[in-house]
Amino acid sequence: MAREIIAPIRFILLVSKVKNPILFVLIIFFTVLEIYSQTSPEFTFNKEYITVKKDVKTSGNLYIYRGEISKDELSNVNPVLGKLIEEKTSLRFTPLIPFGWNQKYTLVYGDTVEYFSLDIPEEYKYLSVTSIYPSAKTLPSNLLKWYIHFSHPINETHIYDYIRFVNATGDTLPRAALSLENALISDHGKLLTVWIEPGRQKRDLIPNRQLGPVFKNENAYKLVVLKKLKDKNGISMQDNFTHSFQITNDDRVKLDVNLWKIQSPKVNSKSHVLISCHESLDYGSTQNSVIVVNVKGEKIDGNWQLINHESTLSFTPLYPWKKGSYNVLFDNHIEDLAGNNLDRLFDSEITDTISHHLPKTHKIKFSIK
Amino acid sequence: MILSFLENPILANSSLKADFKTGDPGITSINSMTFGPEGILFIGDSKSAQIVAIDLSTHPKVDNSAVKIDFLDKLIADMLGSAIDQIQITDMVVNPENNNIYLSVHHSSGNVILFRVEHNTLKKVSLDNISHTKTSLIDPVNKEAKDKRGRKLRKWAVADIKYTSGKVLLSGLSNKEFASTFRSVDFPFTDKQDYGSLEIYHAAHGQYETHAPIKAFIPTKIKGSSHIIAGYTCTPLVIFPMNNIKPGEHNKGRTVAELGSGNSPVDMVEIKNGGQRYLLIANNNRPLMKMEFTDLESYNGSLTTPVVKKGAAEGVSYVNLPYVNVQQLDKFGGTGFLIVQRESSGNLTLKKGNSWWLEK
Repeated sequence: MAREIIAPIRFILLVSKVKNPILFVLIIFFTVLEIYSQTSPEFTFNKEYITVKKDVKTSGNLYIYRGEISKDELSNVNPVLGKLIEEKTSLRFTPLIPFGWNQKYTLVYGDTVEYFSLDIPEEYKYLSVTSIYPSAKTLPSNLLKWYIHFSHPINETHIYDYIRFVNATGDTLPRAALSLENALISDHGKLLTVWIEPGRQKRDLIPNRQLGPVFKNENAYKLVVLKKLKDKNGISMQDNFTHSFQITNDDRVKLDVNLWKIQSPKVNSKSHVLISCHESLDYGSTQNSVIVVNVKGEKIDGNWQLINHESTLSFTPLYPWKKGSYNVLFDNHIEDLAGNNLDRLFDSEITDTISHHLPKTHKIKFSIK
Repeated sequence: MILSFLENPILANSSLKADFKTGDPGITSINSMTFGPEGILFIGDSKSAQIVAIDLSTHPKVDNSAVKIDFLDKLIADMLGSAIDQIQITDMVVNPENNNIYLSVHHSSGNVILFRVEHNTLKKVSLDNISHTKTSLIDPVNKEAKDKRGRKLRKWAVADIKYTSGKVLLSGLSNKEFASTFRSVDFPFTDKQDYGSLEIYHAAHGQYETHAPIKAFIPTKIKGSSHIIAGYTCTPLVIFPMNNIKPGEHNKGRTVAELGSGNSPVDMVEIKNGGQRYLLIANNNRPLMKMEFTDLESYNGSLTTPVVKKGAAEGVSYVNLPYVNVQQLDKFGGTGFLIVQRESSGNLTLKKGNSWWLEK
């Protein structure tokens, strides 16, 4: 991964505008003397460290600065933090944060000033969006969340600045997403959760009254991830990511597992259990929230998948099915795309609040003969 | 007599720091920080799902009487050798015992750095060999859910953290539900953690219930008894009596102010000056606000009618101070305050606020 580069030996001549010709000759004379007396600072560097051949005549320390800094400006800039280790014939500087690709640096060793940077490797795998949820092309106007899955861990700093919602005329919607200071990122830095401004999606809150809901019925929009978004190495995506979708009526109906259709599997097979939910479920809240148990209440091992634009739950068992009765148990926090879960509406009347009721058990029974 | 004199400070020290060990607490993010007593800094670390308490009492007092750092973001970027868009200042705190200033910074690489301000520049505080104690933030709803490849999918981002009489309080938001999970953890840490959710009747309507997350809060006294003042996204300011907050229950508060739509509180502090108590609120889309506790205490109502004027504020009155784009705020030197502010010129500056604004 780390490529070592031998830097060409260069000397920085700082010849200012000298009007006096005698002084000019003197400067040239001493500069030439200095050139011949100076040991050239050979240095090698990679992402993790830089080593410089020790010069016995140089008493000064080794400093690295961000950017190409001229000698005159050095006193105004703070050097890069890192560890300097003196070895027998060389000095090794390890920066606190590994050197960045395409980032210019200045090396200062005694009187010598050198510039270096690391090129992005040719084989570098650039950041891209691999999947997005909800994946359906038509979505309710009171849609609450998006999940964007990236190929690599992303730069989390100010991440929401790079997510845009654009209407059909190409205008960016103001205040569409909740701009959180601490980004909601999981799955080792690759899955970003984006909340659509809940104050606008929830009826009668001030932002909703003043600005209306973020998305309007029967309108087309695009979610854009700007290519300026960087990965954790500081390298941007190569292109904008664009995902188009259409808005339809709002969804103000609580999820009800009794309306879902289940397709039972065959005995002695590893066939799927398919549960058709008639609408797309929220990706995040559905993960790890459904289990199959037998009559003894033992969990059946297997894998769950959300298919058909997240509207069908599919379970594949690890071992063939046996005869008997089974229950599919659902976590009451499973939501639809508008934040309505199995127990309550996202946007419910206070008189109708369920907070005081005991949570119900949500299950579907099936049997294998 | 001599013996007891010698013993006392050791005993006093050991009560809170008895469990502290020197080593690497494995901090992978600093979302929010707050100082407790005896120079203990509490860190809310969402990525490692933990609260870490580190002992900074050994740091010598720095003279910050003339503190001012211009181009703070450039300074940090220079010191980390990275572009400015790869760094984020996640919090700023002042140790009330010596006015030492600390900044937490996240870098795109996943590195997290704690800096101490020293003579208007920054010094890195080593976090890999430090006297500390810690506790896990356990998922209050499910046991840490993992998908079939063993990846943790639930994410709980700490929004704010505060310490009050033996308890660390945290607010946060998860990527699963839009709810104001609020946690209370005993300190010194035990296995016990209380979860509750703080719900509000939104001032705007009185007809719908909301489950908004708390963005910033402070523990305080209202009319002599312990309360939480919480600022929510889209800015209702709500007070909850502490002894009413029951674990595992939805706790309903009283909305005392609406701080304008399109706005979100960033930080909140209480400052005493000249016998008066003031509440300062930094916002992402409004100037720094000042509210007097006497107004807060005398307001007995709860906002239940819709706010009619666009962007108008309702309830307890407040004054906008001439500080816009304040990104970080903390108390400084007893009666003053310290801010990180993006000035209109674009300069991100760390500076003292003028305490003239906190005088009668």
